[in-house]
Amino acid sequence: METRFSRGEIQETFQESHAEIMDQYFRRSLQESRAGRMLFRDRMPFTFVAVGGYGRKELCLRSDVDVLFIFNSKIPSPAKDLAEEVLYPLWDIGLDLGHGIRGIKDCLALAGEDFEVLTSMMDARFICGDSPLFFSLVEQLREKTLSKKARAFAQWLAERDKLRMASFGDASCLLEPNIKEGIGGLRDYHHILWLAKAFFHLRIPRDLEYHGILSHREYRDLEKSVGFIGLVRNHLHRLSERKNDRLTFDQQEKIAGVLGFRDQGDVLAVERFLGKLHADMALVKSLHRSFILTHIPGAGKRTEARSEISVDSATTFVNDPLAMAEVFVESCRYHRPLSLDTKRLIREFLYLVDGKFRRSERATGAFLFVVNHQNAFEALDQMLEIGFLSALIPEFALIRDRVQYDNYHIYPVGRHVLQTLFHLKALGKERDLLLLAILNDLSDPEPLLLASLFHDIGKIGKDHAQKGVLMTRAILKRMGYDKAKADDVLFLVKHHLLLTETATRRDLNDEKIIVQCARTAGSIQRLKMLYLLTWADGRATGPRAWNDWIANLVLELFFKILHTLERGELASPDASRRVKQTLQKVRGEIGDRMTPSELEQHFEAMSPRYLLERKPGEIAGHVLRFKTLRASFTDHPAATFSFETREGFPQGTYEVTFLGRDRPGLFADLAGAMALNNINVLSAHIYTWRDGTVVDIFSVTSPLDPVRSREIWEKVERDLKNTFSGALDLGERLKEKARPSILSRRKKWHWQPEIKIDNQSSDFFTLIEVFAEDRIGLLYQITHALFHLGLDIRIAKIATKKDQVADVFYVRDLDGEKIMDAQREAQIKEALLQSLKQG
Amino acid sequence: MKKVEAIIKPFKLDDVKEGLSNLGVKGLTVSEVKGFGRQRGHREVYRGAEYQVDFVSKIKIEVVMEDELVPEAVKVIQEKARTGQIGDGKIFIIPVEDAIRIRTGETGKDAI
Repeated sequence: METRFSRGEIQETFQESHAEIMDQYFRRSLQESRAGRMLFRDRMPFTFVAVGGYGRKELCLRSDVDVLFIFNSKIPSPAKDLAEEVLYPLWDIGLDLGHGIRGIKDCLALAGEDFEVLTSMMDARFICGDSPLFFSLVEQLREKTLSKKARAFAQWLAERDKLRMASFGDASCLLEPNIKEGIGGLRDYHHILWLAKAFFHLRIPRDLEYHGILSHREYRDLEKSVGFIGLVRNHLHRLSERKNDRLTFDQQEKIAGVLGFRDQGDVLAVERFLGKLHADMALVKSLHRSFILTHIPGAGKRTEARSEISVDSATTFVNDPLAMAEVFVESCRYHRPLSLDTKRLIREFLYLVDGKFRRSERATGAFLFVVNHQNAFEALDQMLEIGFLSALIPEFALIRDRVQYDNYHIYPVGRHVLQTLFHLKALGKERDLLLLAILNDLSDPEPLLLASLFHDIGKIGKDHAQKGVLMTRAILKRMGYDKAKADDVLFLVKHHLLLTETATRRDLNDEKIIVQCARTAGSIQRLKMLYLLTWADGRATGPRAWNDWIANLVLELFFKILHTLERGELASPDASRRVKQTLQKVRGEIGDRMTPSELEQHFEAMSPRYLLERKPGEIAGHVLRFKTLRASFTDHPAATFSFETREGFPQGTYEVTFLGRDRPGLFADLAGAMALNNINVLSAHIYTWRDGTVVDIFSVTSPLDPVRSREIWEKVERDLKNTFSGALDLGERLKEKARPSILSRRKKWHWQPEIKIDNQSSDFFTLIEVFAEDRIGLLYQITHALFHLGLDIRIAKIATKKDQVADVFYVRDLDGEKIMDAQREAQIKEALLQSLKQG
Repeated sequence: MKKVEAIIKPFKLDDVKEGLSNLGVKGLTVSEVKGFGRQRGHREVYRGAEYQVDFVSKIKIEVVMEDELVPEAVKVIQEKARTGQIGDGKIFIIPVEDAIRIRTGETGKDAI
């Protein structure tokens, strides 16, 4: 039989047949037993009963088989022989067998003391022997024990539920559930049976329906769900080769296969299997919970303090279906659960939720009220449980029980999105006060709350964020939701992974990455909502997806984007638009001189500042020049550069453009070569692209001798080449040049140069500001000193007004980090001042 | 036998992993770690309230290998964990006495 079961041939009836085979064995064995015949002859009647799971005819593979020999009063001596005769063969084949030999009185006394014993006795089933004795046991158990101790028993079960929750958790939403002891597991069903026996003297499970404790539909659903869970358990025991109730990942795949689940599109068989199992366990859990609340007076205290929301009669919903949505508003408002009857009514009337219902203002109003309310989680949880949420938003039905096979998610999608909302609602209880401060800054958290419910709605296949946008748009449109707010919701759904993905996979010290995120977010409000959604989504996913380590990275990213948006300079809507226009114009200028993909690669490398500050014509020129240079970059990176000059504006100035490969000290060399030829730098823009290309644009004074300007520029270029190749020592030459001559006395500083170090203005660079009187060679001195301090100059803004300079250098150390060390700051200041004085 | 331990930025993990496996490194351990270097964390100010960020999140990789492989491995990590001129992170090389594979009891070179 086990073989047939393993092939999936017998399914639902397996446990019962298994129990019956065992029954047959016991009957035959007892009839044939010598000790049994002796007892019969001596008129010492006994009854042989099955207890526990075997008693319920739910004999699972490899579970214990528990049996009792019960005598009327004293236990005669042959009883032990009898037990041995009957049980030995079973022990020999390795069955887990539990047995007891007791008198009726002992049985009752034990059951009265120990509720564990009581529950097993409640499941007692007569197998053979003296039947009047059995009925007497059942009768006495009911009169002497159950009716007196029903309340205490109910309380004991409630305690057990708490313990189960603590040790096994909610099986209906765990990915490796304990299908017996977990909440929603078979134990929930047993509790219903035991309570019904204690309070309503129910004999067989079907009585639940006959006595009107459950509706026909509820009983049918319960039977089916319990049947399926039981089936899974048998397969689990078979595959584990022992009684093991924790359904681990490796077993899930095998069981899904045996039970005939198949992959469907992107959804794996095992995901569909677990989805069904979760749905069944959720139903068992839900019926168990409502059964206790409705029928068990022992649950008294709680019921009195927290009455339930209920409707008078079924006609309420028939006459006005929309009242179904409003019941949840009341549940929120008074923070009370719905009564079992009300839940049942809504379940029965779900078919009334049609297109018109979904589009109605009242339904939308009720839904939004619930979402915005502090008690939203409890109300939405009930909506999900009853199926109302899936009826109101049919898109939900697709993901409700969707399970994801990755290492991160511990909940199915439906539960996960509710958890996400839960974390947002419970944010006030977090230790992290920043989150609350951010939430309080939102002018309207509604889009965030809706996005928490809809962010994973597209999880029916790959690319779920994109699919989610389409589905969410349809849902919001149906609801007639405000257009501007809908845009926020759609933004959040679309980008809900942006922060975590960027934080873990991209370089957060790369300004361009941050600027791109800032432009995607577009506004501070949206960024704040996105951050809170990221946090709540992560928390609701599981410990692998969200921990201090990731939280740290996401927080760093959040602040960098926030600062970029606050400064506005690079990521304002205006800046984004201008950059777009610039790119378009550059594409036009380049035309077919470059393949589009090659050009896009260059765009990707350009720094945000460069794209904002340079004109399309210039950019196109740089790109083309770069293209011709690139071939030799790999062979002679230092010697390959382009150096161009043209007369600039205002008159008497020149514009110098240098394009080459970046390396430490490059800027100092450029400044030095010009100083050597008596050219003074008035302003400079230096741009470093991500691929290591440098574009430096200087505005400089004209060479002293305007007639020979061509020659002088050629000399500057030659000096550069020689410096790069090592043939010329700029430092030495400049020193010689600076030696005081009789003609020019060394100019003294009229006032002391001033140096400021600023770490506030940028998340990526330390700003070093230098204020000093202008003179030839000054820029070289500063940049040369910075180079020797191990600082990498990424951006420089050189400005000269009359005879004073105010230079700003954006620097990082060679690790790519800002200078955040007070000692090092002091050292930099000191060294800079020193070098200026020497000059 | 040596253990090469490297602290790198999270986004460099894939590159470093790929580089090492191309080199023939058989297995490596990756952990998410937090710490601080010269700059002792930093402070963020939000709406006047200060939030101290004490640690920086990094990735630690550990690989045990034969001595001959070490120079190559260090070079690969250095190359892959660097962006242009800017380098970041640290590499430590630690002598390893012995290694034992639990299942088979193999030791030394066979166990790595």
